Amino acid sequence: MRNLRIGLLLGFRQIQRASIWTTVLIIFVMTLTFLNLIAVSGVLVGLVEGAEQAVRENALGDIIISAQDDEDRILETNTVVQAITTYPEVVDYSVRYSGNAIAEANYKERRDLSGERDTASLIVQGIDPAREDSMSNLSHLLRDGSYLEADEEGYILLGAYYLKEYADDFGDIFDTIDAETGDTIRLTVGDVSKEFVIKGIIESKVDEVNLSAYIPEREFRRVFGRLDRNADQIVMRLADPAQNQAVAEHMRESSIGNYAKIQTYEESLPKFLIDIKNTMNVLGTFIGSIGIVVASITIFIIIFINAVSRRQQIGILKGIGIERKVIEIAYVAQAAFYALTGSLFGALLTYAVLIPYFAENPIQFPFSDGILVADPEGTFWRFLTLFIVTLIAGLIPAWLIARQNTLNSILGRK
Amino acid sequence: MSIITAHNIHRRFGKGALEVHILKGIDIDIQAGEFVAIMGKSGAGKSTLMYQLSVLDEPSEGTVVIDGTDVSELREQDRTAFRLNTLGYIFQNYALVPDLSAEENVMLPLLMRGRGWLEARAAAENALASVGLGNKYKNLPAELSGGEQQRVAVARAIAGKPRIIFADEPTANLDSVSGQQIIDLLSDLHQQSKQTIVMVTHEPEYAAPCDRVLYMEDGLITKELSPSELQQL
Ligand SMILES: Nc1ncnc2c1ncn2[C@@H]1O[C@H](COP(=O)(O)OP(=O)(O)OP(=O)(O)O)[C@@H](O)[C@H]1O
Ligand SMILES: [Mg+2]
Repeated sequence: MRNLRIGLLLGFRQIQRASIWTTVLIIFVMTLTFLNLIAVSGVLVGLVEGAEQAVRENALGDIIISAQDDEDRILETNTVVQAITTYPEVVDYSVRYSGNAIAEANYKERRDLSGERDTASLIVQGIDPAREDSMSNLSHLLRDGSYLEADEEGYILLGAYYLKEYADDFGDIFDTIDAETGDTIRLTVGDVSKEFVIKGIIESKVDEVNLSAYIPEREFRRVFGRLDRNADQIVMRLADPAQNQAVAEHMRESSIGNYAKIQTYEESLPKFLIDIKNTMNVLGTFIGSIGIVVASITIFIIIFINAVSRRQQIGILKGIGIERKVIEIAYVAQAAFYALTGSLFGALLTYAVLIPYFAENPIQFPFSDGILVADPEGTFWRFLTLFIVTLIAGLIPAWLIARQNTLNSILGRK
Repeated sequence: MSIITAHNIHRRFGKGALEVHILKGIDIDIQAGEFVAIMGKSGAGKSTLMYQLSVLDEPSEGTVVIDGTDVSELREQDRTAFRLNTLGYIFQNYALVPDLSAEENVMLPLLMRGRGWLEARAAAENALASVGLGNKYKNLPAELSGGEQQRVAVARAIAGKPRIIFADEPTANLDSVSGQQIIDLLSDLHQQSKQTIVMVTHEPEYAAPCDRVLYMEDGLITKELSPSELQQL
């Protein structure tokens, strides 16, 4: 205790009397190190997490109900929907029917019957337009045109990847038709064909949405001949998304579990996404570690120079009876000060400036809105690593100088 | 009563052919309450002897007993503690911590001895006042003249009321007025509180208030004089 107090006194007086610019510079280096440690991996992970968030918001929600593995569709869909609505936690849901259809664009203009037909294979989703919009904000994803109305017939929304105009940006990898809002296309399922007017174009960061066509469920059932009214997917949003594990568990144990498979958002995530996220984390940590090494060398050099230039003074302190430990503490305290203030500024920058900034202005990536992710626990551990490494980097030079022979230090002898 | 008893002190530096023999078997006996000066030509080994007596160095041969403790038997950590608790130092170059105020410099060994902050500060201010720096507690060493800095060093040495004060040419870097001030401080201390002081000096007049003067030549104490005999040298 006594050693600590005197050590701190010596350490902090040294900082106090040091040139303000030196101190600012060192703290700046530590701040950058902290940012490097937190923000770089935060952006890398944020990329993936941004993609995940988009999927959660625009496509899958918090809990996903789908057909049991040995079934084509959700059994007793009506009963299931009834059951879902009794859950107070569920604030929104959407029932989705889906099926494959062939869309044909230029069938009217095509005089020459031998000419090439402009067709594409679509995944068509039958939805309740209002519910779907409230669930997944679909109407906000319109790039062109307008959203479906509940009672109208003969309109379709197309995902952007189905259109030549948009999909061209990605090279020739999607099966597209050359059409635009207002054009009429013909949808064919088996031997049933029906004409639809393209009412709008949907564009999202989520590929599944870009690769969907939307029509009202009533029409879907008619075109696809789905008379059993059993849906393919029910997605829902909870008041508290973090509760989805518990709610899903409860649903599994209820009657819903007999008719369908219930997954949380996390469970439904494809493994590759989790792998990418982990990889990004490792990558970020690796880059951050380089930062830690650089920072610890910086601190080492600073403390070393500091201690070497005060070698005589250290000798005199020992000469008049100050313990070595006190002197070591004095230098470690300085290193701790730099690490703490640097991290403090870094954390302030991260949480008060960078995270809100990237939340407002996400980095635009094709598959995600890149945000900055820095969960407090991870940040804390990284900070702790930085802190401890800095302390050691400060201790070693102090220890090296303080252990030298007292008289030699006082007299400046080798 | 002897407070320092050194017997057959040798100090050699280097090894083999390069070995130099600096102290060549010194016997010293200093009584509690004595003010002793060590004099001699440059290179005679005065500082080297001081380091042996003040537990800053270990003799190659011989024993030093201070206040009943055979210091040659102490381990490094105990030597540090011994210096803290028993000895006071005044170095030639003031040797203050530049980042600490005058007051904090004086407080440092007191805090190290386990005194509370306020108690240490009161003692430090007392000591500073007694060396005539009552109005400069808060000054940094750089804000003090050389003589004032050395007085802070004196205050630091006396604040803990050590058994013995060692001073190796405490006036060497001072003008004669400041130098005389330091000598007066030491001599007052000696007269008023029977402080044991061992001092190295080159100036015969600074040795005047001493009880005894030990004269060194080539690693040995060759003469022991009284200050009045000194004048004839
Ligand atoms: N570590 C060492 N290695 C080799 N020689 C040394 C060492 N320390 C001191 N000496 C030598 O010992 C001799 C005595 O040195 P010392 O410092 O004791 O002299 P001094 O009497 O204090 O002289 P001054 O009056 O100049 O201070 C000198 O010749 C010096 O060169
Ligand atoms: Mg000397």
